[in-house]
Amino acid sequence: MMKGGSYMASMRKVERHQARTAYLFITPTVLLFAVFTVIPVVMALYLSFTNYDVLSRNDWIGLDNYRRLIDDDLLWKTFRNVFLYSVIFVPLNILISLLLGLLLSRAWRGVKLFRTFYYLPTLTSAVAAATVWIWLLHPEFGLVNGLLSYVGITGPAWLSETRTAMLSIVMLTLWQSVGSNMIIYLAGLQGVPDYLYESARLDGAGKLDCFRFITWPQLRPTTFLVSTMAIIGALQLFDQAFVLTQGGPANVTKTPVYLIYQQGFNQLQMGYASAQAFVLAMAILVFSLINMRISKAEEPVV
Amino acid sequence: MKKWLITALSLVMLSALAAGCGGNSDNSGTPAAKNSGTDAGSKTEKTELTFWGDWGGEGQKQFETMVDAFNKSQDKIHVKYVLQQDMITKFLTAATNGGAPDVLFWDRWRTSLYAPKNVLHPVDEYLTRDGISKDDFYSESLTELSYNDKLYGLPLTVDARALFYNKKLLAEAGLQPPTTWDELETAAAKMTKWKGNKLEVAGFSMADLGLFNMYLQQAGGTMLTEDGKTNFNNDKGKQVLEFWDRLMNKDKVYKVGFELGLGEGQDAFVTGKVAMLYSGPWMLSTYNKYGKDLDYGVVPPPAGPNGDKGSVMGGFGLVIPEGSKHHDEAWEFIKWWTANKDNALLWAKTSLNLPGFKPSMEDPFFQNDPLWKPFLETLEFAKVRPSHPGYSVMETDALAPNLQLNQQNKLSIEDTLKKSQEQGDKMLKDNEVVK
Repeated sequence: MMKGGSYMASMRKVERHQARTAYLFITPTVLLFAVFTVIPVVMALYLSFTNYDVLSRNDWIGLDNYRRLIDDDLLWKTFRNVFLYSVIFVPLNILISLLLGLLLSRAWRGVKLFRTFYYLPTLTSAVAAATVWIWLLHPEFGLVNGLLSYVGITGPAWLSETRTAMLSIVMLTLWQSVGSNMIIYLAGLQGVPDYLYESARLDGAGKLDCFRFITWPQLRPTTFLVSTMAIIGALQLFDQAFVLTQGGPANVTKTPVYLIYQQGFNQLQMGYASAQAFVLAMAILVFSLINMRISKAEEPVV
Repeated sequence: MKKWLITALSLVMLSALAAGCGGNSDNSGTPAAKNSGTDAGSKTEKTELTFWGDWGGEGQKQFETMVDAFNKSQDKIHVKYVLQQDMITKFLTAATNGGAPDVLFWDRWRTSLYAPKNVLHPVDEYLTRDGISKDDFYSESLTELSYNDKLYGLPLTVDARALFYNKKLLAEAGLQPPTTWDELETAAAKMTKWKGNKLEVAGFSMADLGLFNMYLQQAGGTMLTEDGKTNFNNDKGKQVLEFWDRLMNKDKVYKVGFELGLGEGQDAFVTGKVAMLYSGPWMLSTYNKYGKDLDYGVVPPPAGPNGDKGSVMGGFGLVIPEGSKHHDEAWEFIKWWTANKDNALLWAKTSLNLPGFKPSMEDPFFQNDPLWKPFLETLEFAKVRPSHPGYSVMETDALAPNLQLNQQNKLSIEDTLKKSQEQGDKMLKDNEVVK
C-alpha cells in the first residue's frame, strides 16, 4: 500500500513536471498567437462597433457600421469580383497543379530540373512578377499579343479592358501559385501506397481507373488543403490586383482587402473598415465550410 | 483580415521603436549643440527639430540641402530630416501616441481630412505676427491648406498640368500648338498613325481619365456644388464626354491601355509614340535628360468651347503637427524655407519645382525659360481640387469607373453622368466631416 501510494505520488509529480515543461515550451508560441492574433481580432471586433478614426474619435455607435454595409454597393461589387475570380482560379489551380504533380512524380531524366522550373515563379515577389507581366501584356509591344499576332489575332488590351482584366490576374496568380501546390501534390502522391496500384493492376484496372479509384480518393486530404488555401488566398487577393490594375478598369478588379485598406488608412474610417473586414472573415469561413463539405475532408481515406 | 490587423499592430510597435530611436538621436545631437554654445560663451542649447518627409533618393538630397542651409543660417535651431517611406501611416500613430515630428511634408489635399481632427497646428497668428502677406502665395494653394477659415501651413511647391507636345511630329503635321479644343482635336487626329489594327503613334494621350476635373473647368463647369454635391451631370459634363467620344471613336487618336507599363526609358512620349499629353512640371527633368532626342514644347491647356481655361493645381506644403513640442521653432523653419525669396528660389532650383512663394518666380530662371513659362501662365487660372474629405474617393471610386466604362463604349454618356452622380453623391455623404 505504502509502496503503491508513493508510486502514485511520484507519478503525479512526474506528470506535473512534464506538464510544466510542456506549458513552458508552448508559451512563446501561445504568447505570440495571443499578442499578434487573438488580441487584434478581438480589438477589431470591438472597433467595428465604433466610429474609431485613429486620431480623434472612438465612440460606441452600435450597429451603424453594419447597417451602412448593406447599402455599400462598392463593397458588394468587390465581393462579386473575388467570387468570380475564385470560381475560375480555384478549379484551374487544382487541375493544373495536380496535372503537374502527376507528370513530375515519375522518376525520369531531368525531372528535378522541371520541378525547379515550375516552382520558380513562386519564389519571385508578387510585385516584381506583376511588373514583368504588365510588360508581357502590353497591347501593342507585349510578348503575349506579339505571339497572338503571328497567328493573325489582334489581342486585347489585357489589363485595360473590362472583359479581360480579371482574366489577366487569374493568369498571373495561377502562374505564381501552381508551383507550390504542385509540391504539395507531389508529397501527397508519394504517400499513396504502391500495393494499392499493384493489386488494382492484378485485377485488371486501367490507368484511368487507377487514377479515379485510387489516386484521387487517396489525395482527398491534399486536395482539401490545396483548395482551402486557394479559396482563402483568392478571397484575400490584393497585391497582384493592386500592381496590375489598381482595381480598374471600372472597378472590375477591385478586391475587398483593397477597399478595406483604403477605407481605413486613406479615409481614416477604421471602425467601418473593421466591420468590412469582419464580413470578409465571415465569407472566408462560410466558403471554407462549404469546401469542407464538398471535398468530404472529414471522412476517412480508404 | 488577420494580416491587416497584424500590420496595424506592428505599425504601432514600429512607431514606438521609431520614437525610441528619435530620442536617441536627440541625445547624440546635443554635444554638437554644446560645442557651438561654448563658442558664443553662453550655454544656449539648440532646439532639435524633426522633419518628416516621404521623399527618398534625389528628393532626400534636395531636402537635406535645404535643411543644412537652414542649420547654418542661425544657431538656435537644428533640424534633422527623417525619411518615412510610409509617412501618413506613421503619422497616424505618432499623432496620438506622442513622437509626432515637428515639421511634416504635406500633400496639401489631405488637409480637409486631417485638419478637422485637430492634429495640425494653425499658423494664422504667426502669419500676422511676422507680417507675412497672403498675397505672396497663390490663393488657391492657401485654400487647399485651410479648413474652417484657419490656415494650417504654407505651400512649398505648386504645380498644374499643361500640354506637352512633340515639336517634330507637330511640324511634320504642319500645325501650331493647339489653343482650343478644336485645334487640339485636329492636331491629335493628324499626328495619329495606325498600321492596320496596330496603333503606332497616338496623337494625344487619353490614359488619365482623372483629368475630367480639368476638362470640366475648360467647359466652364465645377466638380462640386457649394453644398458639397457633385455638379457634373449637366451640359458641361456632357460636353467633356462628347469631346472625349470624338477623340476616341471618331478620330481614334488613342487606344485603351496604350501607355500602361511603359515606364521611364520606354516612356511613350519620349519614344515618340505619344505626340501630345497633359503632364506637370515634375516631368521636365525626366524629359530634359533626353536632350536632343526629344524636342518638345509646352503650352497652357487649350481652352474649351466657350473660351474657358482650366487646370488643376496641386502640390505640397509644410505643416506643423499639433503633437510637436516646438511649434514656434517649427514655424521659424517653415517661414525661412517657404516665405523667403532667396530660400524658396534655392529650393526651386535644387529640386526643379515651382516654389509656392510668388516673388521667387519673378526670377529669370523661370521667366526666361520657355518650358517653365507656360506653367506660370497656367497657374494663373488653375484651381485646386474641392476641399471635401470624400472628394478623392468620389473621384476614384464613383466617377473614374464609370468614365472607364464610357471610354470602352459600355455605357452611354447620359448613363455615365447619371451613375457617377448617384454613386458620387453617396460617397461624398458617407465620407463627409463628422461634427
